[in-house]
Amino acid sequence: MMKRIILSCMIGLPLVLLLSVLSISYYFFTHSIESATTASIVRIVEDHRDMIDTFLRERKADLAFILRSYTFKALSNPRELDAVFERLQEKSNTFVDLGVFNEAGLHVAYHGPYKLVGRVYREATWFKEVMKNGYYISDVFLGYRRLPHFVIAVGRQEGGKTWVIRATIDTYMFNHIVEGVHIGKTGEAYLLNAKGVFQTQRRSGGNLMAGDPEALELPESQSSTRTFMQKDSRGEKFLYATTWLREKNWLLVVRQEKSDAFKALYTATYLVLMVSVLGGAVIILAAFFLTGRIVSRIKRADTEKKDLGEQLIRASRLAELGEMAAGFAHEINNPLQIIRSEQALIEAILSDLKEAGGLKESKDLAELEDSLGQIRLQIDRCAKITQSILKFGRQSEPLLEDIDLRDYIPQVTAMISKKASVHGIKLVHDISEDSPLVNADPGQLQQVLMNLLNNAFDAIVSRHGSEGGELTVGVAPRDSEKVEIWVKDNGSGISPENLKKIFSPFFTTKPIGKGTGLGLSVCYGIIDSMGGTIEVASEKGVGATFTITLPAAG
Amino acid sequence: MKEMKMMLVDDEERFLSTTKKLLARKGHDVLTATSGPEALEMLREHNIHVVILDVKMPGMDGIAALKQIKRQYPMVEVIMLTGHATAESAVEGLKSGATDYLMKPTDIEELLGKAEEAFEKRKRLEEKIRVAQMRTLSGSPRDIIRETEEP
Repeated sequence: MMKRIILSCMIGLPLVLLLSVLSISYYFFTHSIESATTASIVRIVEDHRDMIDTFLRERKADLAFILRSYTFKALSNPRELDAVFERLQEKSNTFVDLGVFNEAGLHVAYHGPYKLVGRVYREATWFKEVMKNGYYISDVFLGYRRLPHFVIAVGRQEGGKTWVIRATIDTYMFNHIVEGVHIGKTGEAYLLNAKGVFQTQRRSGGNLMAGDPEALELPESQSSTRTFMQKDSRGEKFLYATTWLREKNWLLVVRQEKSDAFKALYTATYLVLMVSVLGGAVIILAAFFLTGRIVSRIKRADTEKKDLGEQLIRASRLAELGEMAAGFAHEINNPLQIIRSEQALIEAILSDLKEAGGLKESKDLAELEDSLGQIRLQIDRCAKITQSILKFGRQSEPLLEDIDLRDYIPQVTAMISKKASVHGIKLVHDISEDSPLVNADPGQLQQVLMNLLNNAFDAIVSRHGSEGGELTVGVAPRDSEKVEIWVKDNGSGISPENLKKIFSPFFTTKPIGKGTGLGLSVCYGIIDSMGGTIEVASEKGVGATFTITLPAAG
Repeated sequence: MKEMKMMLVDDEERFLSTTKKLLARKGHDVLTATSGPEALEMLREHNIHVVILDVKMPGMDGIAALKQIKRQYPMVEVIMLTGHATAESAVEGLKSGATDYLMKPTDIEELLGKAEEAFEKRKRLEEKIRVAQMRTLSGSPRDIIRETEEP
């Protein structure tokens, strides 16, 4: 339950934050990219329109200049026309030919690749328009030559008569000018006439003079620049910008595949998605990892707390038990004293009777004496028990001294070194040189250590017999205020259920009569009264380690 | 001064009576008292050499009784009888002037042994006192002569 709450918090909060940061920045980023892209395409279409307009205006001006510089008569002279065309070509090589027409539309003179002199254009649209407006730029058309081209014609009044010169513009060159827009990979520019017919080639497909396959909805003439999105026949989305030319009723179209135009956007989207997925994964992984650790830490803390609680309860229970047992033992000693006196009296009476000859030696008498002896023995046994209990319950106040364990421990172990060698036990010292002095009662500490060492001997002998035993006595500072002494054996070990009871009074695994079960509880009491602790760790069949922690001196 | 006169002080009457009988069989005359005040009373009436005194008694406890005895009868040897296994109460008793201590339950032989030891000590002490008194009484052999001549 707790795990689920921590986990959902640890995943949920960072994920919400990450996603909101990403989506906010994504929103503003897309917005700014979109507007920047649109603005740039608008700028491009308008710049391009201005350029094409300028081109057309200049070509028109070129013709107007010729018209003003020469008379009809002069230009009708083919040689003169040739010279003029030469100069015109020098100015702009987009001119393909140049022709002169009289008022009736008769082609009077011509310079160019075709034989057009003598043809009459009175009924041609372009001629009518020139006669009406003074100039005309045609749509692309096939004309007599069966080739797509467009013309610029300019007329002039001279002596009451109008004459006209007309030049054909190289559609290839013009195409080149119009097409000359490069944005991204798929950006392209082309012209449509008022009927939606291509006036220049479209790079991505769309032949000159063919209808626009996308059939753009043409905006109203002379309206301002427009941008929009439209799908083509293949379903590809394009970003369009359109604007009408000023010199001619042609619509300039600049378009770019949406995916190309918004490439940065797609990259950003891709990155954002990647960051979201990766970040999410990292958050989830980290959350699982951390939650696992936190939960196990909490569990460990709980266990430790429980252990500590149990230890406290055990300690106070031990203290209570000690008090009770001591009182109990003391009370037992008085009746025990009386029994002993009575027993001694019976013995005395019996021996007096025997001496006086009042009793004959008999089997019954022998049994009586045996029984009396047994009573005496059992009183001794009781006395031993009550004395152990009193020792456990009424520890005398420790007389604390500063002890240098580096000297003290070897002195204590020296007392049992002979016993160790008899049992084939290797006695090892692991005494850290930086062990500080401890504050303890040397006599009582010796009692505790001897008790632990003797227990270790018993455990080792029961497992190894007289070979292969190892007993380590170690000392090391635990922290600045505490010193640890441990007694570690490779004996038979202690089972988990016995570990729990090991410091309890009267708990023993030894055979009846061999131990009172008070040794370790006395040790516990002694170490406790010195302000230390005693702990045990063991594995059945591997060995046991008793660790005493004492306060460092000073 | 040849016979040791003992007194047992304990609140357990049966202990007193049995031990008295037992010691009587071994040829010792023993007085008994069941409390501190009674023990002091007995001391006033009888010339007692060794007192075996239980530490734990209702009313006046052993230590208090010991102090009274040593104050009023410094020559009396006192052996403390304690139910405690620890040396603590014994130490306290010894500091307050007890000669020795015994732990309950104690053997009659042990009790008697310690009592006799204490009696020996008492005897040695009395001997010393006697010699010292003799010296003050008779600084030189002449003094005796003078004393005898004077009246």
